[in-house]
Amino acid sequence: MAVIETERLRKYYGKARGIEDVTLTVEEGEIFGFIGPNGAGKSTTIRTLLNYIFPTGGTARVFGLDIVEDSAQIRAQVGYLPGEVGYYDDMSVEALMQYAAGFYQGGYSEHRPRIDELLDIFELDRRRKIHALSQGNKKKVGIVQALLHRPRLLILDEPTSGLDPLMQTRLFEVLAGEHKRGATIFFSSHVLSEVQKFCHRVAIIKEGRILRVEEVEKLRHGLFQKVRVVFRQAGGDEGAGGGEAGVAAQAQALDLPGVVHRAVDGRTVELLFSGDVNELVRRLARHDLESLWLEEPPLEEVFLHYYEKEGR
Amino acid sequence: MNVFNREMRANYRSLLVWVLVIAGLNVLVLAVYPSFAEDSAKLQDLMEAYPEQFSKIFGLDRLNLGDPMGFYATEVYFMVLLFGSIFAAILGAGILAKEEDEKTIEFLLARPVTRTRILTDKVLTYVTYIVGFNLLVSLISYAAFVIFITQAYSTKALLLLMVAPVFVHLTFASLGFLAALFFTRRRSVYSVTIGLVVGLYFVGVIALLTRGLDWLKWLSPFQYVDAADIVLNESISALNILILLAVNVAAVAATYALYRRRDITV
Repeated sequence: MAVIETERLRKYYGKARGIEDVTLTVEEGEIFGFIGPNGAGKSTTIRTLLNYIFPTGGTARVFGLDIVEDSAQIRAQVGYLPGEVGYYDDMSVEALMQYAAGFYQGGYSEHRPRIDELLDIFELDRRRKIHALSQGNKKKVGIVQALLHRPRLLILDEPTSGLDPLMQTRLFEVLAGEHKRGATIFFSSHVLSEVQKFCHRVAIIKEGRILRVEEVEKLRHGLFQKVRVVFRQAGGDEGAGGGEAGVAAQAQALDLPGVVHRAVDGRTVELLFSGDVNELVRRLARHDLESLWLEEPPLEEVFLHYYEKEGR
Repeated sequence: MNVFNREMRANYRSLLVWVLVIAGLNVLVLAVYPSFAEDSAKLQDLMEAYPEQFSKIFGLDRLNLGDPMGFYATEVYFMVLLFGSIFAAILGAGILAKEEDEKTIEFLLARPVTRTRILTDKVLTYVTYIVGFNLLVSLISYAAFVIFITQAYSTKALLLLMVAPVFVHLTFASLGFLAALFFTRRRSVYSVTIGLVVGLYFVGVIALLTRGLDWLKWLSPFQYVDAADIVLNESISALNILILLAVNVAAVAATYALYRRRDITV
């Protein structure tokens, strides 16, 4: 059964584009990634699904219910973590949880064990006032308030941003538990690697449009890395002559399977790489390097090359 | 009733501050009354020294500062009416604007609660608060009244002067509530609504003082519950109250209609 179903969903803010013809289906029990650069329309889609904003065109249903007409009914079974978190400053963490839980069937008393468990997992002090919390801790409060009523659908807007690595790990453990319990998870992010690790399917959105919906398995063959190498001197041991020609020769030496894109600038060579890292390191070892960076590339760059490649 | 309970708890501190300040001023003013009344002849001389317009603003062309009701109407009632309206306007505007200003609306709208329900709970909160505010201020003022004022007075007139501000306060709270849809920053909606209260007060003053502009008094809620009218007639005009209530209904209904279709972007 489809938990989320949108049909040519469209949102314009006056003349400004929010999203355009978004058609998506998320099945029950799925972990669905929603990925795209900032401003692509991820939050707009989510906020439309929850009826914070009204669609300009198209339709959408959650649990088979209309997102505009039956919004309150839908929200009874949705847990939502907003990207930017704002809570009542004067409340303590515990008071906020009481307030949140009071809206759901059973109220605070029924949901209290789960709240306590989550507060412990995320190491939150329940007597702390919200205004005294760091951004990271506020984010954790956001996670707990989204999970406390054991929702059927979790909508998480960039849940890992602002969390330290340890808490990110805990979050994914908790989410895995929610998934096991049967929850559907809709997960927006601009970090490709976490989506690749965690999701079954992923939709890629850019400039308000869904570029494509893909099984994560298909993306997995390309775990991308951005490699930046600065050679100590042009030429190197291979004695291919000095100057830029030498660098070009060295760069040539780095031409191994998995290099999607290569840019040479003086003694610096930049690669977008999705091949075997061991092979890359063996190649690099033959050269005299000044420095070496390996980092996760910006999403746009990956997609650009991913689709260039696909297009061929 | 979740939102109602929350709002009732969230605003009581500011209520207490406003009650203490305004009721405190009332007590101080009433404490001065005995020395006023003693020298009532001197007082008349003093009043005559002021320009006629001045007396008119405070209704002193028809009321006498030297008698209990005249004193209460011009000194105490005036403060409760005007300052209470500022309190009410801030309350009505803030109770709605703060959710978007502090992005807490993201939290609230994620719950299974309709927008209509949120608004209803907030309206119930400000109505309760305004009634409570007037009740507390009136109780304290009444205690001071009994202590400091020994002359005979009309209980009915006094009671009416204690009830009348409620309708004006409600009106400004409802207008503030509506204004919060257009000014979602608390600071800006406060300036706008306080400006509205003070502005409409002066519209009333202008209507009193300017021949040919007296129709302006229909624009000023303050003129609907004129102190001299209430004291002299020992009644509040039912028509005036109905008009004020109609303004309330219209403002709140407009807020509901607009809020239900509003894009909440914070």
